[in-house]
Amino acid sequence: MSKRKSKTKEIAVKRSFGQEMKKNWAYYLMMLPAGVLLFLFAYLPMPGLIIAFMDFKAQDGFRSDLVGFKNFEFFFTSEYAWRTTRNTIVINFAYLIFTTFFAVLVAILLNEMKGKLSKKVYQNAIFIPYFISSVVVGMLISDMLFADSEGGVLNQIIGLFGGDPIKWSTVPIAWPFIIVFAHLWQQVGYTSIVYLASIAGFDKELYEAASLDGASRWQRIKSITIPLLMPSIIIMMLLSIGGMLRGDFANIYAIIEDNGMLFKYTDVIDTYVFRAVKQAADFGTTTAIGLYQSVVGFILVVFSNWLAKKYDKDAALF
Amino acid sequence: MKSHKKRFTFGDMIMHLVMIVASVICLYPFVLCFMVSITDESTVVRNGFQLIPEKFSAVAYQTVFTDGTIFNGYIITIIITVVGTLIALVVSALAAYAMSLSRVQYRNVFSMYMYIPTVFSAGLLPWYLVCTNVLHLQNTIWALILPSLISPFNIFLMRNYFKSIPASLVEAAEIDGCGTWKTAFVIIFPLSKPILATVTLFTGLGYWNNWANALYFINDKKLYPLQFMLFRIEQMIRDIKQNGTLSNMQVPTVTFQMATLFVTIGPILLLYPFVQKYFVKGIMIGAVKG
Repeated sequence: MSKRKSKTKEIAVKRSFGQEMKKNWAYYLMMLPAGVLLFLFAYLPMPGLIIAFMDFKAQDGFRSDLVGFKNFEFFFTSEYAWRTTRNTIVINFAYLIFTTFFAVLVAILLNEMKGKLSKKVYQNAIFIPYFISSVVVGMLISDMLFADSEGGVLNQIIGLFGGDPIKWSTVPIAWPFIIVFAHLWQQVGYTSIVYLASIAGFDKELYEAASLDGASRWQRIKSITIPLLMPSIIIMMLLSIGGMLRGDFANIYAIIEDNGMLFKYTDVIDTYVFRAVKQAADFGTTTAIGLYQSVVGFILVVFSNWLAKKYDKDAALF
Repeated sequence: MKSHKKRFTFGDMIMHLVMIVASVICLYPFVLCFMVSITDESTVVRNGFQLIPEKFSAVAYQTVFTDGTIFNGYIITIIITVVGTLIALVVSALAAYAMSLSRVQYRNVFSMYMYIPTVFSAGLLPWYLVCTNVLHLQNTIWALILPSLISPFNIFLMRNYFKSIPASLVEAAEIDGCGTWKTAFVIIFPLSKPILATVTLFTGLGYWNNWANALYFINDKKLYPLQFMLFRIEQMIRDIKQNGTLSNMQVPTVTFQMATLFVTIGPILLLYPFVQKYFVKGIMIGAVKG
């Protein structure tokens, strides 16, 4: 480093590591606690990935036998690999599409509202579920709305139309829809505020000019708001591709718990891994699944970021 | 759009209708849950969930409060929320401040170090083994605080905010004799109240609602936070439903369940009217940025 000193006369003076530490030690001390915590909880687990390639035995620890890709083979030849991957992607995709659709709808409607008070009341009402833990959501969903008994809210509604009550906890296909509904219920309010923020930044003159030209409200929405909102929508969607393989563990587990009957359409990678860890059955395979998720997740993040960058240079995260 | 008043059109009506339906969907479960919690148990069993109960009763709340375990849960949750949020705020704000200064030569190296874990993680099991076998966090209150303390997203959010403060301000403070730490705490942080408030609120909410860490690490009933207590009640009820009632076990009633639920979310619902606008502002700060 010191050799280059003569070359760098420009804006910032390059210092050697020692000089920099001597001069700015206080700033590095400020970063230290965050750095240490991140090291402990994010970097220290990484060497543990070696377990994915081991026939891990508790008594041998990290001296267990290396078995190559056996653990991966075991998982990918089981029925669970496809089932959990499919469920994870389908549920995440549904989250993304429907949350975006309803959030944009709500944002546009709120933006068009004339009364300030009504706007506020609606926004507050829709935002409330965001503040509730997934346990509470799970309880409200499975013990109240979709309770098995005749008294459950949905069964009461079915009863009104003369139908027989449904024993929801035995109907696997209903639950991916219920999970997506629960997610929307919690997230639409939040996401709509994000879109409302970007609508607030639009040029008001465009709307005034359109009004003067006699554009109806629907025409203003169709020709101004939606086209201007499109870049944010596309960027938000592209960047969510990166998380496609990450499960929404707390929310799904709080609703489904250990009801094996419902796993067919609701068991995602994260819930599967959690059960495997809890039963402590097979450390090797569990770690292998985690690694598979992280590697594919990483590729997806890089890919989605590349796409976002292609679409808009400033939009990418890195 | 202009100042003259417009008529209430058919379009307005549709808009309000849609928003009313959406609002009702969002609020109804809370209202119903509250009404069930103050209903007489046998009435619920007979009639199902009703918005207007045939017979009121406060027995469920009496049971919740005389049982007393809920107070313990409250104390644990308040401790982890307050302590966790405070530590997280100080640790993150300091790191973000150092990362925001162009005079710090290795700030981008540190940013990269912060960023990598957001795109690549070791997965649940290695993380779990580090927490239990290396750090021995299981059945300690730190298991509920430390693992989720650092949020790179929040740190970057704060860094970007600090960056927008003119560097000349830091220099001026130093000329006036402010040291490194004093500049941060007396000049920069007070100027950054909006972002610090945002991070505080979201972090606090996260701690209040977190139950997954308890699920992973806590067996000791004395350390159960509120949300996890609720989860255990729910789990017990499902076990009983699936495996039949055990004669020596007392089944928690529906009204007890709903009353407990309402007691755990009570503080949030009470605070909501006062804090929601800060949350909205916070989301807007984040949204404009990225």
